Amino acid sequence: MRVLLVEDDVDLSRQLKTALGDAGYAVDHAADGEEAHFLGDTEPYDCVVLDLGLPKIDGVSVLERWRRDGKTTPVLILTARGAWSDKVSGFDAGADDYLTKPFHTEELLARLRALLRRSAGIASATLSCGGLRLDPRAARATVNGEPLRLTSLEYRLLHYLMMHQGRVISRTELVEHLYDQDFDRDSNTIEVFVGRLRKKIGSDRIETVRGLGYRLTPLPGESTEG
Amino acid sequence: MTGTSGGTTGTETAEPKARSWGRWFGRPGRSLTLRLIWLASLWIVLALILAGWALTSQYQESALRRLGNMLGQTIDEVVLASSATPTGIQVAEIKDAQTLRPLSGEYWAVAEPDGRGGLKVLASSPSLAGEALSVPADLPGRLSAAFGQMISYTAEGPIGRPLRVAASMKRLPGREAPVVFMAGIDRSDIDSDTRQFATFTWTALLILGVGLVIAVLVQVQIGLRPLFDLRNEISDVRKGRIARIAHNYPLEIQPLAEQVNRLLDQNQETVERQRTHVGNLAHALKTPLSVMLAEAGNQAGDLPDMVRKQTEVMKAQVDHHLRRARAAARAQLLGERTAVAEVLDEMAVMLERVFEDKAVEIDWRAPDELGFRGERQDLQEILGNLIENACKWCRHRVRISAGPTGLGQMVVVVEDDGPGLPAEQREVALERGARMDETTPGSGLGLSIVVELTRAYGGRITLADSDLGGLKVLLELPAAEA
Repeated sequence: MRVLLVEDDVDLSRQLKTALGDAGYAVDHAADGEEAHFLGDTEPYDCVVLDLGLPKIDGVSVLERWRRDGKTTPVLILTARGAWSDKVSGFDAGADDYLTKPFHTEELLARLRALLRRSAGIASATLSCGGLRLDPRAARATVNGEPLRLTSLEYRLLHYLMMHQGRVISRTELVEHLYDQDFDRDSNTIEVFVGRLRKKIGSDRIETVRGLGYRLTPLPGESTEG
Repeated sequence: MTGTSGGTTGTETAEPKARSWGRWFGRPGRSLTLRLIWLASLWIVLALILAGWALTSQYQESALRRLGNMLGQTIDEVVLASSATPTGIQVAEIKDAQTLRPLSGEYWAVAEPDGRGGLKVLASSPSLAGEALSVPADLPGRLSAAFGQMISYTAEGPIGRPLRVAASMKRLPGREAPVVFMAGIDRSDIDSDTRQFATFTWTALLILGVGLVIAVLVQVQIGLRPLFDLRNEISDVRKGRIARIAHNYPLEIQPLAEQVNRLLDQNQETVERQRTHVGNLAHALKTPLSVMLAEAGNQAGDLPDMVRKQTEVMKAQVDHHLRRARAAARAQLLGERTAVAEVLDEMAVMLERVFEDKAVEIDWRAPDELGFRGERQDLQEILGNLIENACKWCRHRVRISAGPTGLGQMVVVVEDDGPGLPAEQREVALERGARMDETTPGSGLGLSIVVELTRAYGGRITLADSDLGGLKVLLELPAAEA
């Protein structure tokens, strides 16, 4: 397993390098954003530990560039500020997990293991509907190549609609598949989630069939094969 | 020192003056409207009283002058008709109906000083019917002092009605001793005319005064309207409905509106600067703390244990004090509105990914139009920590619902299906911040940050049991009016 460690503090990077090495990872180290971007762009890492406060180019920008170039390597960000707005912007840029400084080394190692475990299963048994793509094993969805930010309930709804695309699905059927338990079973719930999903994927993709339910269709001009 | 004492004296002398000024014109800090109306009305009343007095006295004076002219004419006629005889004065008949008809109201008389300070009547008009024109005691003296000139006075007439009397001392050809010619005329007509004029004038002025005061009222209301508009807009800024003052105001208060906007900008800048400082300080301290923690983490023994423990304490202290400073700076920020649904969505998406191993499901509900009256970063901080806490403790489910409660407040309820918190521990959890979640990885300060920020916004936080089985956190926060 190759890990890229991006951290500008000399002492901390030395310690982390040692700890990661001891845990069995092959570690490359970058001390600034430019070097990090270059390494991440050229070498096939399994995972990246990225500090956000970096010289030259900040961590969020580095991450954004990788994601724009199609790099899907899982990234764990280290933030010193600990503010949620930083975490949110990190996630918007494509991070997979965060850790707030100061942290225990064991915590970092545990998070890395979890990240690698998650990304290991990714394969390409994807569902698609026009510009929409959904990868059930990674539980990720994209619209026209842009990653969709979905909550699990929204994801589950989209998954069900994509598995039955082109067919009209009643609200009752959707409610039954949205929740495992018997909680909150009213059809308003479905309207709420369909509304949110429309905002994120484009309102024309989900058609309301009056009195019957909903139907997912590709946009006119998009081919189902996508 | 000198400057300070001088300043104090200045304030002391200024105060009583302000107070007496205030007593008359409405205290500064009270109503500007009242002050303007009060001042204008006072001026109107004074001006109208002055005008009324001038008009009526002028009218009376000219009426009396007219009477004086008539009396002078009568005297001239009598003088022309008079001639001296060895026995006294002979007055030829004057063909004037008014002086012939008894008690007609127009009279004349011819007299001479009797040598004892009085007057002896030599002849009088038939209209007097034997009565005499009354003579003030000092008249003969004044007449001889102003020889040939006319002296007027008011006296009671023969039938008890007021008379205007004129008298003049003259010499007749062929007679050594001076002769006094007198003429009198009833002045009750003139008096009633004057009274009528006064009544009319005062009535007209009263109506004018009332009209003017009403005009002032209207003018003040219209004139001050931009001020009321400005007040409303500032209150909208406070309530978070608008971020800046946008309205165009008249020349006089536009600078005020611009200054308020500049103040808002400055406020924002200060907060921004403070946040940057705070962030920089946190960044500067936390990396060394990480180094110490990592260094100690590799070794066993008393010293590394102590370093680990103390590093945690330092981290907690840094977090605690920095957040407090941020919260204090933030609560002063005005005019911010944050969409709650957006923040809930980004938090839910992010935290589900973070807790993916546990397959946490975050079900959130909030109306799209619900707004938090405050900064986005703060709502992220409050909800992020609460939801992260819920995700840590839940088995699989986290439920969040947010909605307005009216009266400018909103409530956010965060529930989980975890083990919950016994009632007796809830107080402690809120009081001391959430030390008890230290067993779960991550910051142990989540709840204390939430409590501090919530209080800085004047909100409230309550803990209860959730029907999902775990903890239910009720958060009351100020809502932005739509």
